[in-house]
Amino acid sequence: MNFELARRRFLYQSLTGVGGLALGELLNRDLKAASTENPLAPRKPHHTPKAKSCIFLTMLGGVSQVDTFDPKPTLDKFDNTLMDWSKERNTDQPGLFAKPRLVLKSAFKFQKYGQCGMDVSELFPQVATCVDDMAFVRSIQAESGNHPAAVFQLDTGFVMPGHPSMGAWVTYGLGTENQNLPAFVVLPDFRSLPFSGSQQWGSGFLPASYQGTVLRWKGEAIRDLKPPSEVTPQIQNQEMELLRGLNQEYLEKHFTNPELQGRMNAYELAYRMQAEVPGVLDLAKESEATKQMYGMNNSVTESFGKRCLMARRMVEHGVRFVQLYTPSQSWDGHTDVAKNHEKNARETDQPIAALIKDLKQRGLFDSTLLVWMGEFGRTPDCPAENREHAGRDHNTRAMTIWFAGGGIKGGTLVGATDDLGFKAVHDAYRIRDVHATILHQMGLSDLDLTYYNAGRNMRLTDTGGRVIRPVVG
Amino acid sequence: MRSCWPAAVLMPVTCFLAASSPSSNESIFREQILPVLQANCATCHAVANPASDFSIKTFDDILRGGKHGPAITPGKSDESLLVQYVRGEKTPKMPMGGALPDAAITSLAAAIDRMQPAQNQAAARDAYLDWVLHAPKPPAIPGVKRKEWVKNPVDAFILSKLEEKGLEPAPTANRRALLRRVYFDLIGLPPSPEEIEHFINDPSADAYEKVVDKLLADRRYGERWARHWLDLVRYAETDGFAIDSERPTAWRYRDYVIRAFNDDKPYNLFVKEQLAGDELTGKQFSAEKRSERLVALGFLRMGPWEADANFRTQLRQDFLNEVTSTTASMFLGLTVGCARCHNHKYDPIPQRDFYRMQAFFAATKIDERAAAFMEVEHPDELKRLRRKCEDEAEPASGSLKKLEERLKQNYIEAKHLKPDDKTAGDFQKALKDAKDPIYTAEERQAWQESKDLARKLNEAIPRYSPVAYSAADVTPPDVPAVADTYVLAGGELAAKGEKVEPGFLECITGTREPAKIPYSDDGSGRRLVLAEWIASPENPLASRVMVNRLWQYHFGDGIIRTPSDVGKNGDRPSNPELLDWLAVQFLEKKWSIKAVHKLMLTSNAYQQSAESPEAKRYAEIDPNNRLLWRMNWIRLEAEVVRDSILALSGRLQSCDGGPGVFLNIPADVAEGFEFFKWFPSDEQEQLRRTIYTFQRRSVVMPMMEVFDGANMSESCARRNITTVAPQAFSLLNSEFTNTEAKYFAGRVMKLAGNDAERQIDEAFRLALGRAPTVEETGKARALFVHSDARDALTRLAVVLFNLNEFIYLE
Repeated sequence: MNFELARRRFLYQSLTGVGGLALGELLNRDLKAASTENPLAPRKPHHTPKAKSCIFLTMLGGVSQVDTFDPKPTLDKFDNTLMDWSKERNTDQPGLFAKPRLVLKSAFKFQKYGQCGMDVSELFPQVATCVDDMAFVRSIQAESGNHPAAVFQLDTGFVMPGHPSMGAWVTYGLGTENQNLPAFVVLPDFRSLPFSGSQQWGSGFLPASYQGTVLRWKGEAIRDLKPPSEVTPQIQNQEMELLRGLNQEYLEKHFTNPELQGRMNAYELAYRMQAEVPGVLDLAKESEATKQMYGMNNSVTESFGKRCLMARRMVEHGVRFVQLYTPSQSWDGHTDVAKNHEKNARETDQPIAALIKDLKQRGLFDSTLLVWMGEFGRTPDCPAENREHAGRDHNTRAMTIWFAGGGIKGGTLVGATDDLGFKAVHDAYRIRDVHATILHQMGLSDLDLTYYNAGRNMRLTDTGGRVIRPVVG
Repeated sequence: MRSCWPAAVLMPVTCFLAASSPSSNESIFREQILPVLQANCATCHAVANPASDFSIKTFDDILRGGKHGPAITPGKSDESLLVQYVRGEKTPKMPMGGALPDAAITSLAAAIDRMQPAQNQAAARDAYLDWVLHAPKPPAIPGVKRKEWVKNPVDAFILSKLEEKGLEPAPTANRRALLRRVYFDLIGLPPSPEEIEHFINDPSADAYEKVVDKLLADRRYGERWARHWLDLVRYAETDGFAIDSERPTAWRYRDYVIRAFNDDKPYNLFVKEQLAGDELTGKQFSAEKRSERLVALGFLRMGPWEADANFRTQLRQDFLNEVTSTTASMFLGLTVGCARCHNHKYDPIPQRDFYRMQAFFAATKIDERAAAFMEVEHPDELKRLRRKCEDEAEPASGSLKKLEERLKQNYIEAKHLKPDDKTAGDFQKALKDAKDPIYTAEERQAWQESKDLARKLNEAIPRYSPVAYSAADVTPPDVPAVADTYVLAGGELAAKGEKVEPGFLECITGTREPAKIPYSDDGSGRRLVLAEWIASPENPLASRVMVNRLWQYHFGDGIIRTPSDVGKNGDRPSNPELLDWLAVQFLEKKWSIKAVHKLMLTSNAYQQSAESPEAKRYAEIDPNNRLLWRMNWIRLEAEVVRDSILALSGRLQSCDGGPGVFLNIPADVAEGFEFFKWFPSDEQEQLRRTIYTFQRRSVVMPMMEVFDGANMSESCARRNITTVAPQAFSLLNSEFTNTEAKYFAGRVMKLAGNDAERQIDEAFRLALGRAPTVEETGKARALFVHSDARDALTRLAVVLFNLNEFIYLE
C-alpha cells in the first residue's frame, strides 16, 4: 500500500471512530487539521485576534502590590500600628492572622509616570518609562495562598495538578505558525525550577503535542539536539532515511494505531528543529547595543535579559506562546521584603523594559501580548514578632498585574484595593478572568475552547471567565 | 489518562463535539444569573459562609447549594430555592435586609426556566457509590455463545460484554508478538532470538503457560514490577525542596519491594508491613523479620520533606496530611485528601473523616531505626563495602585537611595576619573567588578536587549503615498522651475545630464510632488497626483497587481507568462484574499477586492481537476499546527502553540490590546546586537496571523526563504517554544511545562474522526478534556504502532503537 492510501485509510478510521457523530462543521475543522496531519497546524480562531503570540512573564513567589504598582499612603500613616483583623475571621488563611500583626509601610517611593500618570515605585524605574503602553489591573484575586497550588492555578487555572497549562490550551486552540519550532516555549530559570517542574507547562489531558518545550539559555538550547560529532550530515541523512522507510513499512501494516504516525511526525519535527533552532537562538547575531539594552552584559540582569531576548526572537519566528519564569519563590518576601523585592526587581526591570521597547521598534508589539503576573499579592502588614526583618505574607485578595501590546489599551488602570491594599474593592477579577482575557486577545473564546475529559467539557477557565474589558479597549 | 484514547487525530473530533452546545446550563448561569448574584449576593456568598454554607462562586457551587440543598433546579424556577428566597417565599428574604427589583427576579426565573432539566444523574451516581462502597460478592460467571474462546472466567466476562454489542474478539496474537508482550510485561526486557525460536517451535499445549510460569519465577520480574509500586509511593532517595538531602538507606525499601514481588508476599501482609511494620515486631519475631518490617515502614516517609522548614509544627502537619492522602489513594483508591479543607465535593467523605483517618498516624514520628542487614541483603558484603569506604575516606579527609592548612597558611602570609587571627577562616572565600590573586588556578583546582573526593567518599559511608529509613510511635511514658487530632478548618493548623478519634471512613463502615485500638507493646497500635481494616476481606476497596491496578499494567487501561480514584468523580468501570470477580479471586487466592497475574495473562483476552480485522467497524461502536475487542498497544516506559538497550548491547549488569548507582548526567542538570554535588559511579556500575539508579528529586535523568518518567513528588498511578520531538533527540543523539549502539555493533560482529547481510540479519533478530525482509536488508545496506562495518552497524543500531516496532508492543 502506498503512503497516501495508508494515510487516507488511517484518517478515515480516525474520523469514523467517534461513533458516526462526526457532522458538518465538526468534520471541517478536523479534516483540515488532519489533512496536514499535524495537530499543531494553524487553526482558525473563534474571532479576529488582536495578538498572534503571547509572552507571559511569571513572577514566582508573589509580588507585593503596595511596593510596586499600587501605592498606599495610608500605610505610612499607620506604619507599625497593630492591625485589627477581628472582622477577617472568614479568611482563606486563618492561621495568618492568629498572631499580632503590624502595618508595614512601603520602603519604596512612588512617582507618577507617562501621559497617563501611572504610579510606579522606584523598584521599576525602566518599566515606568513604558506605562503609556501598559494596562494595570490592581484587583486580581487568587484562590489559593499556598505556593504549589497557586502556581498550578496561575499556569493551569486549577489549584490541583493534572490540568493543561495555558500555553497548551492556546496552542491547542490555534496551532502554530512555524512548524520547525516548538509552538509553546518555556524559559525557566535554571537556578531553581518552579514547583512540580514540567507539570507547570504540561498538556494535562490534552494530547502531548501541546506541551511546552524547555529551551536552555546556556549550552545547547535543546538537549541532544545534534548527533555525535562523528555522524556527518550525510550519514545522518542516510540514518533518517532508513528510519523513515522502516517505520513507514510498519505503519502500513498497522495503520489502525494513530500513535505510530504521531511518533513519525515527531521525528520529522525533530529533524527540522535541528536545522532551525540553532539559528533562531543564535544571540550572537544581535547587535552589541541590543545585548546591552537587555542587560546581558551584567550578571544581575543576564539571566532574565537573555531569556527576554530569546522570547523576542521566538515570537519573531512565529512561536505561539512563550513563558518565562523567575526562580521558584523568588519574590516570596516573608522576611526582609524590601531586600527581596529590590533584588528581584533589579534582575527583571531592565530586561522587561528592553523587551517592550524592542518589540515596538520591530513592529511586533501590536501582535504580541505581554502579561506580567505572580501567583498572588502580598499583605500590607507583617508579623509583629519579626519586625526587624519585616516581610509580607501571601495575599489572595489583591494582586496587581499588567498587560501590554497585543491590542491592549495602553495607560489603562483597572480596579482598586482598599486603603491598605489588602483587598480588591472595585472591579475585582479572578485568575480565570486573566486567562479569559489572554484567550480573547488571541482570538479564542474561553467558553468555546473546550476539551472533553472524564465525562465533562473542560476549560482553561472552568465554568468560564470574564474578559477584563477595560484593558482590551 | 492519555494512552487509552486514540491519540492526536481522534481527539479534536471528540472535543469539538463537546464544544457545540452553545447555551449550556453553565453558560446561561454565567451570562444571565451570575452577574445578578455577583452584584447582590457576593458580600456574603462570594465564598461559603458558616451560616448557610452557600457560595455563588461556580455553577457547581450553585447546583450543590448550601445547607438547604441545591439553589437552582434547572428548568424549574418555582422549585428553585434561589428564587424562593429572593421572592421572600422563604425566610429570611434575600438579599438580607434588602430586595431585588422585580424585573431582576423575573429575569432570574426566566433564565432558570431556559435551562435543561437535569436527568436523574444524582440517582445514577448513587447507584455507583452503592456498588463501589460495598464489598464485592462473587458474581455469576456469564454464559457466552462462543464457549471455545473462554480459557478462564476472565474471558467469559469479557466475551459476554462483547457479544452484547455484537463484537468478536481479535484473533490470537502471533507467537512472536505474544512472547515479546509477555516478556516486556513481566520482566521488562526483550526475549532473546533463541527464546523466540524455542517458543515458536514449541508444539505443546501449555507452551505459553510454561513461559508465564518461568517469567513469574524470574527474579527480574520483581525488578520490573517493583517499579510500578515505587511510582505509587513516590519513591526517591532524597528529600526534595531546596536542600534535597540524601536518604542514605532508602534503597533498602526499594529492595524490600522487589523482594516482596518476587516472593509473592501476600498483599494484605504487604499493606500491613508498610503501614505498621513496627507494630508487627513483637518479641516473638526474629531480628530478620524486625529489620524487614522496619524497612517496609519507610513507606510512610517516601514523600518530600522540607528539612529546613521554619515552622516545624506545620511540617509535621504536612507530613500527616501527605501520609493520610497517599494511604487513602493508594490502598483505597479514594481521594480522601480532597477532604482536608472541606467536605469532599464528590464523594461522601466529610472533612471529619480525613482527620479521623489521620488520627491513626497521630503518634507517628520519623525515625532512623537500627535494623541489622538481613541475609538477603548480603550483610558481609555490605560490611566489607562500608569498611572500604571508611578506609578510603579517612586518608582523603586527612589530605584535604593538610591541604587546607597549607592554603590557610598561604592566606595568613599573604594578608600578613597573626596565626590566630579569626579572619584567617576567610581563606576559603578567597579560594572560591577566581579573581583573588592569593591563589593560583592550580591551587584552586587541587582544593576543589581534594574536597570533592573527601565528600564523595564520606557521603558513601552511611549508605552501608544497618539503619532503616523508618518511623516510630511517640507514646506514653515518653509523652503524657498520644497527641490529639482536631478537624482543621480550611486545613489550617491555627483553626482547630472538633476533636476526633481514629476511625474508619463512615461511607464504608456506616458508623462514626471510633476504631477500637487494642494495647500494643511497640507503639500506639493505631496504624496496625488501620492496616488490618484496609487489608481485611470486608473492605470493599483494597482488593478491587489492587486488581484494577494489576489489570492496568497488563492491559494498558484499568477496568476503571482512574486507578487511584474510584469515587464518583473517577472513571466508571468498563466491566464491574469482572472487577468484582477478580477482587473475590484475589481474596480466595490469599492475596497472591502472582495468582492474579496468571489469571489475567493466561486469559484469551490478554493473548489477542492488537489488530482486529473489524477495527474500522468496531471503532465506531467502542472507540476506546473499553470492551477489549483487541489488545491495547503498549508503549515501553523510559526504564524499559533504557534497560532493553543495555540488554541488547550486551552490557546490562545484573545486580542484587544495594545503594543506588549514580549515572552520568549532563552538567546543566546535575550541577549548580548549593547543598549537594553529583558524583557519577564507576562506569561498570552504571550498567545496572534503571531501578537501581539513584533517584534524586531535583536531578531527573533527562531520558526519564522526556519519556514521561514518574513524578517523584506525587503518587503516580499511571504514566503519561506523550510523543514529543525531544524524545527523538534523546533516543537518536544522546551519549547513552550512541555508546550502547557501538557495543551492540561489536556484539553483532562477533555473532555474525564479516558478512554485511548476516550482520543485518543478526541485528534485526536481536533488536526486534525477527529476521529482516529482503527489502529491509536492502535499505539497511545503504548504511554500509560510506562507512566501515562497525560504524554502519552502530548507525543501524541507533535506527533499530528508534523504530516504532521497538518502542511499541503490538
